[in-house]
Amino acid sequence: MKTLVLAGASTLALTAAAMAADKTLTISVYSFSQDEFKELVYDPFEEICGCEIVVETGNSIERLSKIEANKDAPVIDMAVLSTHDALGAARKGLLQPIDTSKLSNFDKLYDIAKDPLGDSMGVGYTFYATSIAYRSDKVTVESWADLLSPELAGNVALPDITTNQGPPALYMIGKALGDTDSSLTAPIDAVAEKADDIVTFYVRSSQLAQLMQQEEIWAAPVGRFAWGSFKDNGLPMAWAEPKEGQTGGMNVMVMTANNGNEDLALQFMDFWLSTEIQTALANALIDSPANAEVVVSDDIAANLTYGAETVDQLHLLDPATILDMRESWLEQWNAKVMK
Amino acid sequence: MFENRAIGLALVLPAAIFAAALFLLPVGILLSEAFRTDTGWSVSAYGEFFASSRNQTVFFRTLKLASLVAGVSAVVGYAAAFAIVNLPASSRGRMFGLVTLPLMISPVARTYAWLVILGRTGFVNKFLVDLGITDTPLRILFTETAVFIGLLQLFLPLMIISLVSAMENMPRDAVPAARILGANWLQVFWRVILPLTREGLVIGGTLVFTGSMTAYITPAILGGSKVLMLETLLYQRVTVANDFVSASVIAMILITMSFSANLLLKRLATARKSR
Repeated sequence: MKTLVLAGASTLALTAAAMAADKTLTISVYSFSQDEFKELVYDPFEEICGCEIVVETGNSIERLSKIEANKDAPVIDMAVLSTHDALGAARKGLLQPIDTSKLSNFDKLYDIAKDPLGDSMGVGYTFYATSIAYRSDKVTVESWADLLSPELAGNVALPDITTNQGPPALYMIGKALGDTDSSLTAPIDAVAEKADDIVTFYVRSSQLAQLMQQEEIWAAPVGRFAWGSFKDNGLPMAWAEPKEGQTGGMNVMVMTANNGNEDLALQFMDFWLSTEIQTALANALIDSPANAEVVVSDDIAANLTYGAETVDQLHLLDPATILDMRESWLEQWNAKVMK
Repeated sequence: MFENRAIGLALVLPAAIFAAALFLLPVGILLSEAFRTDTGWSVSAYGEFFASSRNQTVFFRTLKLASLVAGVSAVVGYAAAFAIVNLPASSRGRMFGLVTLPLMISPVARTYAWLVILGRTGFVNKFLVDLGITDTPLRILFTETAVFIGLLQLFLPLMIISLVSAMENMPRDAVPAARILGANWLQVFWRVILPLTREGLVIGGTLVFTGSMTAYITPAILGGSKVLMLETLLYQRVTVANDFVSASVIAMILITMSFSANLLLKRLATARKSR
């Protein structure tokens, strides 16, 4: 017992010493591509700031509940989230506005990335287009409505309503059917009617790549970030440019409320938004740049959501709409499609 | 065993404290979520859960598939176990090894293999089309059939192992004696083998039923969101909706169903014995 107490005490002492010696920045991020992020973002920043970056990963729900649980004594200093999750956190009072005047790279961002949540609660650092990846030798996809066409019956997968791709894809199907109401009732009804013709409602885009490879499906709405796993699968693949346009999503950086580490967090955000880092992340095909000054080769651009023109044409769902309607969408979905 | 009972108790104590503090207590707290409401304790969460037609579908689908897998594996398992027990000792060991081999391969790998085998361009469909049984490949993936096949393959070995050990404990001459006395094979099975191996059947049945009901990977990969089972629904409630109340309700239902299945099977076994 005595040894245990001693061991505990010395661990505490060590931790305290480490904290006194160094500045620490704790960030909460998505778990994908962490090796690359460490190499391209975290390690170079640690050298500049002389601080230590502690990385927490997980899916949005896990990370959000952690931030909420430690609300009174924040552990996380900055986090990256989807726009609607970030807005949800802001509404719960878990975030504070970002002082964008201290971000030297702020003016370089595309306009839609500057203040997507309002009140400077978040700054967009990447976005992605969502369209339809399809087998060009089997079908031609020119409209979101083609997903429910007889040609694709039994050959199409749709994103589950619980995924980030689900609601935007349904919204675009609604648009193709001439109903853009945010209740999504028209598209959900349309999908419910054809539910037997949908192979599956996917939850992970990685799962989709295998289904396409095995020729289980010929088409599916998918985020551009996953395109790399389709285009080289040995089958004739195409990225649809539907007449209703493409949809997508944006991820934002947020600052937790009262974290006491605001200066370091701002410095890190600014670093991440810099042309140099955004270019490095784009060249590694990890995140499409939100910094409009980033220039990449055509090859790289073809795999990203890149360029002012592309960005202008994205039909993004309003984060407030997603947040307010999510429960009702899920209810309708469970009652009609999953019955 | 110990002269002083206190010594025995003292030896058990560390393990008991460990289990109570780190397993029973957290599980209890988690499950109590399902009975806690703003106004006090209540079972209303269960009413709400079963009020949804989707949840009812998921519940009955889980019950149906788990029972079906347990039933079919019992039938197949008796045949396989009977064959194995009657082999000469050397090949018996080999056969037994073959049966247990799949248990040493990760369920993830096994389930992924099914994803390829049952696919539209997979082995099963090639076979069916080549034989002219069907013109176009059948849709097997993401149906209850796929989940059933996956679960059966996953848990059949447990049933066979339980039945083989039960049959090995059967008196060697029981079956020949029944045959000499004029019983046909059906009577031999029903009145000799079954009563003498029911313990094995109870153990195997419970393992297969509980396993099928609580399996996550197989229904998640082979069924997907169109063929939700209680376990995949539980996961969805927690990770997507952050809804721990529904999740606790589902966990409670799963635990109750496991215990009930065990009790029911035991009851059936003893009912036959007392006759």
